[in-house]
Formats: sequence, structure tokens, C-alpha cells
Amino acid sequence: MERLFAHLKTRMGDIIEAKKEGQKVIGYIPGGYLPEEIVIAAGAIPIGLVRGGDHLPVEISSGYICRWFDTFCRAQIGYGISGQDPYYKLLDLFAIPITDNHIRAISDVLDYNTDIEIFPFGVPHMKEQSTYKYYLHGITRFKEKVEEITGIDITAAALRDAILLCNEERRLIRSISMLRTLNLPPLSSKDFVALNHGSFVADKRFMVNLLESIFNRLKEQSVERPKGPRILLSGSTLAMGDSMVLNLIEEAGGNVVIEEFAEGIRPYWENVSTDGNLLVALAECHFMRRVPPAWFRPGKERLDFLIKLVKDFSVDGVIWYQLMFRESYKTESYYFRRRLRKEAALPMLVVESDYDPSEVGPMRTRIETFIYNLGN
Amino acid sequence: MPDYYDGVFRICGFQDGEIEKERPRIERVLDKIGIVPEDIPGVEQRLRKQHEVELEGVRKILRAWLLELLDLVLAKDEGKRVIYYGYPSIQGPGMAIQSESVGDLYVGCPDAVLCHTVGLVFDKLTPFLEAAEAGGLPPGHGLCSLQQIRNGGLALGVIPVPDLATGSSYYCDMGSKADELLHEIYGHPAVYIDGSMDSRWGEYPKYDPERTKFLGEQLDKLFTVVKDLLGIEVTQQSMKKAMTTSRQLYSALGQLTSLMMADPMPISGVVSGMAMNLAAASTCRSMSEGPEALNTLCQEVKERVESGYGIVEKGAPRVLNFAHTFSDPGITHMIEKAGLALAASFVTVPPRKRDKSLTFNTLGEELAEAAMRSGAYHSTYAFAKRFAEAAQRLKMDGVIWGYQYNCRPMALGSLLFKQVIEEETGIPTLALEMDYYESRSYGVEELRTKVETFAEMLRARKAPMRN
Repeated sequence: MERLFAHLKTRMGDIIEAKKEGQKVIGYIPGGYLPEEIVIAAGAIPIGLVRGGDHLPVEISSGYICRWFDTFCRAQIGYGISGQDPYYKLLDLFAIPITDNHIRAISDVLDYNTDIEIFPFGVPHMKEQSTYKYYLHGITRFKEKVEEITGIDITAAALRDAILLCNEERRLIRSISMLRTLNLPPLSSKDFVALNHGSFVADKRFMVNLLESIFNRLKEQSVERPKGPRILLSGSTLAMGDSMVLNLIEEAGGNVVIEEFAEGIRPYWENVSTDGNLLVALAECHFMRRVPPAWFRPGKERLDFLIKLVKDFSVDGVIWYQLMFRESYKTESYYFRRRLRKEAALPMLVVESDYDPSEVGPMRTRIETFIYNLGN
Repeated sequence: MPDYYDGVFRICGFQDGEIEKERPRIERVLDKIGIVPEDIPGVEQRLRKQHEVELEGVRKILRAWLLELLDLVLAKDEGKRVIYYGYPSIQGPGMAIQSESVGDLYVGCPDAVLCHTVGLVFDKLTPFLEAAEAGGLPPGHGLCSLQQIRNGGLALGVIPVPDLATGSSYYCDMGSKADELLHEIYGHPAVYIDGSMDSRWGEYPKYDPERTKFLGEQLDKLFTVVKDLLGIEVTQQSMKKAMTTSRQLYSALGQLTSLMMADPMPISGVVSGMAMNLAAASTCRSMSEGPEALNTLCQEVKERVESGYGIVEKGAPRVLNFAHTFSDPGITHMIEKAGLALAASFVTVPPRKRDKSLTFNTLGEELAEAAMRSGAYHSTYAFAKRFAEAAQRLKMDGVIWGYQYNCRPMALGSLLFKQVIEEETGIPTLALEMDYYESRSYGVEELRTKVETFAEMLRARKAPMRN
């Protein structure tokens, strides 16, 4: 992990140097719908704008939009306008897969109020032939835009190489994650999440190399970790810096063994095929085979997947961590609790955050009580 | 046999014979929505105070709304199949489906109907909202109050479980998700009409043709499901039939909209809002009762205009708003008492005209193109741009951009709209956070100070122009 943190510490400087040499930086919302492969194939640097957890940018956003939007999205507006997340200052293009109106708010508010070049493209909310075609159309437009920005025509060979590189990253993250199905998971959720977050920002080759060495070490050595109730942590966004919920679970003696989030946790369950039309293969993987977030309607596929995860990872309870005003998650939390009880006989705790430090007390009480009850 | 509620229905334009004829239906509905004799004096007083019931046209519009409520609540009992659509985006398809009905179908937007009747007439929405809050749509999370009212109506057993629900998945996330929640509880099928609002800022009126192709296919999907599930075939011909039926209504609405521009403003926005929303929420009574009610109203308003009668003083600043509140007339009255003439609403400003060279292969494509032109379904920029254009074209003195706080597509423009409208037109704009559907948190007193200050500013701004 030290290697990762050291890399991330110098990453900004490395990108500034790369920009001086003509490399372009393409930022994106880390919700899993932006094929990084296209960016890498064009020789540009993809940066997932994954930072959150801090209330200050949320406050800054209130000068530009009312409060009734998802906290992470308001934070991005705050970061983008204030430049408090320095990555925003480096962007040559900000690609925004429009998944719902909260994400659309980032696109509209930053497009109007900043000089950042925005590229929105639609992510439909169902898996059908017409929705698939529209997503494919969106990433095709994105490829053209990346070619325009970088001045590089993306060849099939370059795209195939980029896919192979990203596939390797996903495979390794998946392999590390699966180690947590073991009775004694060899790494903590905080470390796993740090790796996942790091993958949005780090150099891709560095990341693959790092993941490989971590995986090799973890699979060979047994690590003594505290034993506690096994938790599935699910929700809308788990941003880099939003550590309150993980800290509280850990402090209460809980052990998060699997996370499922729409944003902030890279989808790693599927790989892209390198056969045939590669854009089609990207759309197949990132849209059709991806387990969708709660803003798909109906949300059954994700809820089925959660039940599967609960069983595969031998979970004792679910903590549903959502950010304020993301209505899709709020609505699903009502009926998923019943389903979980019925199909897996497990309890679920719903906690919410607006990145407000004053939430810590009440959230601690609720998490401690929940985990205490799981252990008894 | 006269009963305790007769007075209310008389005020609302029912004749004695009609009350007698409808009595069994009325009693079942009042029982379901929880109206008791003790409520009636308050309801009558509210109708007389808040609505201009001295006008026959107003009474007829109220009558149409109440008949719509009876039809909605009793639809299943009366052997009808029921389709619910979401406000405001699926009204066109709703009209097309209704046009193929042979009297065995109820197609409507139940939440809007409940707002205009249980809310606007009886002031009894709170139990509906509380039922929804206990049933998956809790307070404090910015969840759509219109969806809460529908959810509450079903939870209380007031409105029937539909045979099919459909809503826009291309405009808001909440409608589809709330439909999904109801599907989980009641098991009825739901069709989500998907799309994507992914245009860049400044792109309107242009758009990526793939957007209309995609939305068109999704709208056509609804018609396929309707055919498969209910055996009703909806074609471009159905839409034409619906347009022919609605022409009279829209022509009368157009006339009313023009009359509202008279100085002084001749009737309250409460009345015009009630008339406009009838067309949006109902596909049946709006067509059968609406045209006559509106024509009567227009005639009466015309007489008021000719006699120089106004409900605000002559020369009062004229303001464009988004719409009028659905369930609490007090808010519109408060704005008017502050001295502002709510002379026009965005929802009644016609969209840009269709390019006549365009041709469409399906009804879905045709409706999708109209959605793009309308602005609100195109993008935030288009929505704001059309608002600015309307304010300028109608020579408004001010704009009240009352955004529905828990409607994300509207709230997205919370501050952007004010910036765009003022930059493009110089017309002062008040961004007002409000709730059109229920006013527990955004009531008259919550809004009064902001509105009065804005009104004072508009009056001061207009004064030198008068001199």
C-alpha cells in the first residue's frame, strides 16, 4: 500500500510533466460507464474524479445549485468551480456519462460556470436493444471526441492493447476481492477500497504491476485480521476521502468483506472481449454485462446481484450507505430490506450522509448497535 | 334526498338532478377520501373565498375536476381498465391511448387529479402524504410530492391499482423509481419510457438525431405493451384523433391565455391554472366537459376585460411563472395580493413550430420530436432558453422561476435559470423554491417575504417607465 500512496503523492506532478509533453488529460465521473480503454488507446491520461467526503466543496456548490442533489455530485460542482480538487485544473476534457439528473447537474452547472470542456453522453436506464444502441452511439461519439482532442486516430491495435491492460487491472482487482470470500479475509475493506480508488487516478501500468504483487503476496501468506460480523457495504457512491462509514464499521468490530457501489468502486466483475468490433465489445461489457446501479429501472438485476454477493461472501448483515437526495437508492432501500430478510434472512441498516462531520455521532450509535446485534 | 355535501357540489356547478343521479358515486368517493359532514362548512368557505365561483365557467371547471375524481376512484368498480401516466411528460401518449377507448378505459394522471380535488377543493391531502411517507417515500429526502400523493392514494385504497403504469424515464428518475416501488408493493406492470438528456449546454434547438430515434423507439414500446396487454392498438391515426378531440379544448385554452394578458388581469391564476392543468391531467373529462367549461369561462372573462375589471390594479407588474400551484390556491392569491399579475405560465406558452419538412415513421418518433422542441425535455439550457424567450416575447416585467424543490429536472435550474433569463433578457427573475403539489413546508407564509420584496422591486422598476 505504501507504494500506492507514494505513487499517488507524485501523480499530480507526473501528470503536469506529461501535459507539458503534449499528453492530454481526460477526467470522468467514476461510475463505470466511461470506457477508459478509449482514453488510453489515444495516449491520453484518464482521471476518475473520485474525491469526496469533505463538506467544504458541498458548501461551495450551494452558490450554484440548490441543495436537493446528491452530495457527491454537489461536491464535484464545488471542486470544479473552486479548483479545490487540483485534478479539475488539469483537464483537457471532462467526460460525463449522464446516468441520472444528479450527474447531469454536474455537467450543466460546470459547463455554464467554468471553462472546463464538458462532454456529456447518455447512459440509458434499461437493458434493451434500443438502449444498448444508444450507449454504443455515445461511446462512439466519445471516441471521436477523444481523437479530436488528442489529434490521434485510435487504431484497433491500440484499442485492443488498452483493453487488455484494463482487463488485467479488473482481473487482478476481482482476484483480490474474491480472497475475501475466505473465512479470514486477508485484507481489510479500507485497503481494498484504497486500491480501487487508487486505480481511478494511478498510472494504469503501475497499477497493474502493484495489484499483481499485492495479489501474489495475499494469496500466499495468511494475514491475521480481527474477526467480526461480515458486512456487505452497498450504496450510491463511496468516494476517495469519504472514510467515515468504513472507519465506524471497523471501530465497531465489523468486517466489510464486499462493497457494491455505483460510483467510486470500479466495476471489476466483467472483462471486455477483444474479438470483433471493439467498440461493440466495450458497450457489451460496460453497459450490457455490467451490474447496473439503482438508477436502472427496474433495479432487479442489482438487487439479485446483492443477494448473490451476500451468499457468496457469507455475509452476516448489510449496511446500505447512501448519500443524501439520491432518490433511486432511497426508494430501493425500502423494499430491498424486505427482500433481504425474506431471501437471506439478514438484517439491513440504512445510513445516510451529506458529508457533514456532525453526522459521526448518530451514525456511530446506529452502526455500533447494528453490529452488536449481529454479533449476538 | 339532499345530503350534507350537496352544497359543495352545487358550488362546483352540479345541478340538483345531476347530484341525485351521481349520488351513489359521490358517496362512495367521499367515503373513500375521508370527507365527513364536519368538513363541509370549511370546504364551502374555502371554495367561496379562494375560487371565483361567481363565474359559471369556474363552477364548470370545478365540476369537470370532480367528475374526473369520481371516474378515477371508481374506475375499477365500474369495470374499466386503468392506465396511469406520469405528469407532465406522458400526456400525449395518454391522449392517444384514450382516443382508442370505447368507454372501457380510464387513462389519467391520478396524482394530479388528487391534487386538484382532494387538495384544491377539500384540503385533505395530508393523510395521503403521511401514508406515502410510511410506505417507502419518507419525508426529508427530497422525494417527489406528486409521487407521494399517488403512493398515498394507493396505500389508502382511494385510487385503484392500475392495469398498467407508465412514466418518463427520460426526464426524471423519481417517477420511474416510484412506479417500481408501487410495482413491488402491488404487482401491476410498469413501462418505463427511457431516453437521455445528454445535450451540451447551448445546444438547443439542435439535438443529436439519435436522441429522437431512441426516445421514439421507447415511446413505440409503450404502444406495443398497451396492445399486448390491453388489446388496444395505438397508431399515428390515434394521435390525430386525439388532436381533433382536443382541438376545441386547446383553442379555448389559447383564448384564455390571451385574455389573461389584459391589463388589469381579469381573473386569478388559480382559475387559469385549474383550467390548464385539466388538459394535462385528464384525457377524458377534460375533453368531454372541458371545452364547454372553458368557453363559458372565456366569455365571462371577456366581459370582465371589456368592463375593465381586474383582480390586480391596472398597471400591475406582469409576471411569467412556471405554473400555478395544484393544491393550495393561497399561494397564487398571496402573489396576486402582493400586486403581481401572474399573466402567463410557461406551461401554456406554445413551443417552437415543427419543421414541416420532417417526416416520421412512427408515432413514437413524432412524439419524441415534439419533446425535443418543447425545451424542458431537451436540456436544462433549452428549458431556460425557452423561458427567457417566452418572457421576452410576452413583454413580461418579471419572472417567478418557482422550481419544484423535489423535482430534479426543475431543481437543476434552481439558480441557472435566473442567471440565463436575466443575462439574456434583462428581466428580473426570482428563483423561488416551492412545492406545487403540497404546501406543508412551502406554504404562503414561507414564500410571502420573498415574493413581496420581489413585487416591491418590480413596482419600483416600473414606476419611472409609467411616468
